[in-house]
Amino acid sequence: MTAVTDQDHDPAHAHVKEGAERTGPPRPAFEPAAGAAAGATSSRGEGVSSSGQDTPSGGQGASSSENGASSGEGAVARRDAGEDGRAGAPAGGEDATGSADGDGKGDGDGDDGDGDGGRVGADAERGRDGVNGAHTVKEHERHARGESGDASVGVKSGAGSAPAKAADAPERVKAGDGAAAENAAEGHARVNGDGGRPRGRGDAREKSGDDSPRRTDPPAPRADDSARRGDDSARRGDDSVRRGDDAGAWDDGLIARRVSENAAAAAEQAGRREARGAGAQSATTLALDGPLRSRLDALRELVGLSRTRLDSKTLAEAGKVLDEAASRRRLSGRHTVVAIAGATGSGKSQLFNALAGVTISETGVRRPTTASPIACSWSDGAGTLIDRLGIPGRLRRRPVQSPEAEAQLQGLVLVDLPDHDSAAVQHREQVDRILTLVDAVIWVVDPEKYADAMLHERYLRPMAGHAEVMFVVLNQVDRLPGEAAELVLDDLRRLLDEDGVALGEYGEPGATVLALSALTGEGIGELREVLGQFVTERQAPARRIAADVDAAAGRLRPVYTTGRRAGLSEEARDEFAARLADAVGATAAGEAAERAWLRNANRACGTPWLRLWRWYNDRREPPTGRMRLRPPADEEATARQRVEQAVRTVADRASAGLPVPWAQAVREAAVRGAHGLPEALDELAVRAGLPPGKPPRPGWWPVAVLAQASMTILQIIGGLWLVGQIVGFMAPNLGVPVLLMVAGIVGGPVVEWSCRMAARGPARRYGQDAERRLREAAAGCGRARVLDPVAAELLRYREVREQYGKVVGVG
Amino acid sequence: MVTLDVRPQLLDALSALRDRVAAARFPLPLAGAPRARANRDELLAQLDDYLVPRLKQPEAPLLAVVGGSTGAGKSTLVNSLVGRRVSEAGVLRPTTRTPVLVCHPEDHHWFSGMRVLPELTRVWTPQQETGDDLLLPGDDGQRVLRVETVDTVPPGIALLDAPDIDSLVADNRSLAAELICAADIWIMVTTAARYADAVPWHLLRTAKEYDVTLVTVLDRVPHQVVSEVSRQYGALLTKAGLGDVPRFTVPELPESAWGGGLLPASAVASLRTWLVHHAQDPGSRQYAMARTAQGVLNSLKSRLPELASAAAVQYAAALRLTTAVDSAYDSEYARLRGRLQGGAVLAGDALKRWRAFPLDCTAGELLDALVESLASLLLCAVTAADERVDQAWRLEPGAATPELADPDPTGADAEHRIALAVRRWRRELEEYAEEEVREIDRGAAPDPEVVAALVATALLGGRRARSAGEGLAGRIGAHGALRLRDRGGRLLAEHLDRVMHAERERRLAPLDGLDVQAEPQAELIAALSVLQKER
Repeated sequence: MTAVTDQDHDPAHAHVKEGAERTGPPRPAFEPAAGAAAGATSSRGEGVSSSGQDTPSGGQGASSSENGASSGEGAVARRDAGEDGRAGAPAGGEDATGSADGDGKGDGDGDDGDGDGGRVGADAERGRDGVNGAHTVKEHERHARGESGDASVGVKSGAGSAPAKAADAPERVKAGDGAAAENAAEGHARVNGDGGRPRGRGDAREKSGDDSPRRTDPPAPRADDSARRGDDSARRGDDSVRRGDDAGAWDDGLIARRVSENAAAAAEQAGRREARGAGAQSATTLALDGPLRSRLDALRELVGLSRTRLDSKTLAEAGKVLDEAASRRRLSGRHTVVAIAGATGSGKSQLFNALAGVTISETGVRRPTTASPIACSWSDGAGTLIDRLGIPGRLRRRPVQSPEAEAQLQGLVLVDLPDHDSAAVQHREQVDRILTLVDAVIWVVDPEKYADAMLHERYLRPMAGHAEVMFVVLNQVDRLPGEAAELVLDDLRRLLDEDGVALGEYGEPGATVLALSALTGEGIGELREVLGQFVTERQAPARRIAADVDAAAGRLRPVYTTGRRAGLSEEARDEFAARLADAVGATAAGEAAERAWLRNANRACGTPWLRLWRWYNDRREPPTGRMRLRPPADEEATARQRVEQAVRTVADRASAGLPVPWAQAVREAAVRGAHGLPEALDELAVRAGLPPGKPPRPGWWPVAVLAQASMTILQIIGGLWLVGQIVGFMAPNLGVPVLLMVAGIVGGPVVEWSCRMAARGPARRYGQDAERRLREAAAGCGRARVLDPVAAELLRYREVREQYGKVVGVG
Repeated sequence: MVTLDVRPQLLDALSALRDRVAAARFPLPLAGAPRARANRDELLAQLDDYLVPRLKQPEAPLLAVVGGSTGAGKSTLVNSLVGRRVSEAGVLRPTTRTPVLVCHPEDHHWFSGMRVLPELTRVWTPQQETGDDLLLPGDDGQRVLRVETVDTVPPGIALLDAPDIDSLVADNRSLAAELICAADIWIMVTTAARYADAVPWHLLRTAKEYDVTLVTVLDRVPHQVVSEVSRQYGALLTKAGLGDVPRFTVPELPESAWGGGLLPASAVASLRTWLVHHAQDPGSRQYAMARTAQGVLNSLKSRLPELASAAAVQYAAALRLTTAVDSAYDSEYARLRGRLQGGAVLAGDALKRWRAFPLDCTAGELLDALVESLASLLLCAVTAADERVDQAWRLEPGAATPELADPDPTGADAEHRIALAVRRWRRELEEYAEEEVREIDRGAAPDPEVVAALVATALLGGRRARSAGEGLAGRIGAHGALRLRDRGGRLLAEHLDRVMHAERERRLAPLDGLDVQAEPQAELIAALSVLQKER
């Protein structure tokens, strides 16, 4: 018995500290499990009955402080944690002095740490560390806090003092009540309650039925207040209250209502809740499945990658989806928030009341009837969820309590919305705002209004992707005679189909369409059943987020993909290089080089007579029109316009299949790269161009010159020989000298001709070489300055595109 | 008492105004354009369908159009007023897709012709034929009006059952608006569930704005809440300034509901009495008719200036677009000329050729290179101008229409046209050169192609082609060279001008095609003032 109570008690404290510790250093969200695990180990270390009940609540405590840390209120959260601790500390101290032997003993136990309280002691230590981390806690308070943590350990170890403790329980609770009067001491009261309630039950089961609810009533409304204030401590306050109550049966919304109700009913309900509480698994925050999580991550990544390219207006929706998904993920996954929306006079409030079993929402003939949303929660812990909708506490209700209804709709949070089509514009604004925050929507239509353009064009069509989290109910079927209801329902189905809303028929996922009458109750049971199943599945929040992501992705489609192939083809690259080569005049340069080479070769290999004639000609003619001297290097030798055009063309080609913003980015990259490109090409043309002076000569050139010379010599020899014969100096022999001369005369041109033939090849090679050098240099320059940045930009686009594919869920 | 004094001058002014309105166009997708287009269509429909025929023939029967939201029970109301099922009523929405006009047999000739609602084809569908909606000619896009004759309708008035004003079918909506605009008496039907809906209230406000003869019917009121609902509706009407509008309440009766039979005569008796009174009592009749007609005439005072200002906005936007094109082409043209003078054509290939000329390059090759270079310079200028235009237009909401998109985004056509123009210039230059050479003595005459190449180089090469000028002078004499250069230069300027102008025109062609002018604004206002004078 004592062991049980102790274990009940200890982990609770440990958890509080656990929470405090967690809030110290802000951690990335996502690991509520860590805190839970810590709590779990500590309680499981003792390994007795109550640990199973405590563990989840410990997890909640941890995760709630996680919330505080990750929601950017780190400082506040930390201070809250500190306060919490501080608040808890004196109480604990009181308790300790009241129940346990004293500080010394508690400390000692904590330090010993190997008895049954060893783990807990360690936890208490850790808790103290956490408090150390929380800078706002004062020294002595920390001390007191440590005591409070240890006190329980001490209490536990002292098995003999158990009866005394049991007797203390009411007292302690009273102390809690007293403290409850102060605003700052919420945590205090709660910790107290924690300590008190379980023990009370542990000791005297029969008492818990009537005592503990009443006891715990007072602190709870405050928890509600603070929840409404929306601060972190309130959240933790909730959690700890819940923890104390074994399984989170305490809800602010409930309390708010119950305060106004009579106390007897409250006690009765609380008792029932307690009975249920043991079985209820308190879930942690909303957990999404892997694919959806990775899609959300991809979307976040995508938004980050696109921020520089797209204006914030385009990305606003995706950002909003991410924000909403994140804030929804931090909240309970156990609950499903369902809004009832519809036109004025369709019977939204009537349906709401029918589902709740009690008149909560005002109904009437006055149009529009409901002016602000009303929430109704079937189970506890939905306070933060309703906070998110911005529904004030006075508009939160509980359904009438009946066991079967509770079991069926466990986890449902129903929100009755104002109309969306009346002349009151602020109603529509409210509806639009809340519709983005809820997990599912019940659209209520009636036979008169089911085909309204407003409903279909403004809501159903844009939300067609949310079909899986959509119910469409045709209310007021009692107004329709006989089979007309079927007809209207069919027509409604047809209209929904035309809107693109998938209908959940034949087991396919999609919207559920029902006919009912809130007035007569016809069909309500069916809706209840469907709704119950829907809520039990707990898939709605995830589906809603998935549909949101789908919708955001669909709307972003035009800025991420065009459906055409994007990229810079090899062809376009080659064309760019060719255009640049044109701009520097590679072809012309090559041809000129070839011709110059050939000309020189011809001149070199020509017959001496020809050379003589040319030389004579040159001397006689004025040198106009001929570049004798190599002109000074031209400035702006590169054709600017061609470079510009080349860049423009390649940018156009590269951005052909791209969505507008990315095409613009590619174009900008190209233009940026093209700055200074002409100058670079100018410089390069000088460098890569032919070296000044005469072109080099091939190796066989001297041979050719020699042959030409020998031909000339042959002519001369033949001539001399003939002359010799004529003057009688030599024996007359016509044959040989004539032959020699003829050979010389014929051979000269032959040599010249063959040289010319032979020079063609090298000349072409030389010219091509010159052209190639220019071409390659220009292409290299262009690649480095323009193509590479463009390719990089394309790569970025591809990355984004892939990311988008992931968001869409195909990649 | 409102009186209606119709003189022929007024009718003339009105038909002139009608033509002006019909001529007004709002093609640019500006913020107010869709609204202006709708206003124009509505005004035109009202003039054609109602005002002109009414002023021409004041003795024609009154037309009362029953309008309201889907499911308000309009058809049931008409059927009950007539005492016979003339219009299909049912539970499926929208029920009435074909408007039905009911009149006394004696009045039939007023409505069988094209006097009112000339855009609707008249049909006489036999009664009690089920499944006939498959055969209705309305399905092929042609809008039809069914005309029914029933003895129980008092002579001098016709009832028209219009489609829903907030129908899912957009055509139905616009048809409903058009029909309501054609009415002498607007009967607005709403229900207990709907009386606070936003859409019908818009219509009511319009009715107030036009100061038409208006009747409201609160239909389908469950009898236990009749007084409360009707009081609240009355309060809403009073708040909207429509407190004096005749208001009739029809309770929801089992036999009325959902396509069943007709309402008992007692349920609609008061409305019927009101209608009969207005149809037969000359004073009331005159009053009802004149009030609506005067209201519409009065409304012109605000509606026409609205249209005129929309037209002015259109013109201003068009002017901005044109200016953007002009300034882009002007600045590019200036840049082009600057480049030409700087010798940008004589660069790259052409420069290399020129350096090799005449030793390693023929005159033909040099000319080719020059011409090609000139073409690329021109193309560059044109595409740059287009790019500027695109950039400027991207910021203009008026340019966001597919009709104004660049007809030649790749510039391939422009390239072709420019190449053609440049080749023509070359040919003419060569002709000039030949003429010049011919005048020189046969013996020393240089090759005309060389002369042409030198002239082209001198014209296009700017400073760096000074030696070309010298060479030219050496070949054909200083005088001839000067003359040739002058002529060639003029020719070049002419061709450049032509090319740039043609490209600018091409770019402006779609905008010109939209035909946004400044005149409609003034004309609309003028027509209005003539009308005002004639009243």
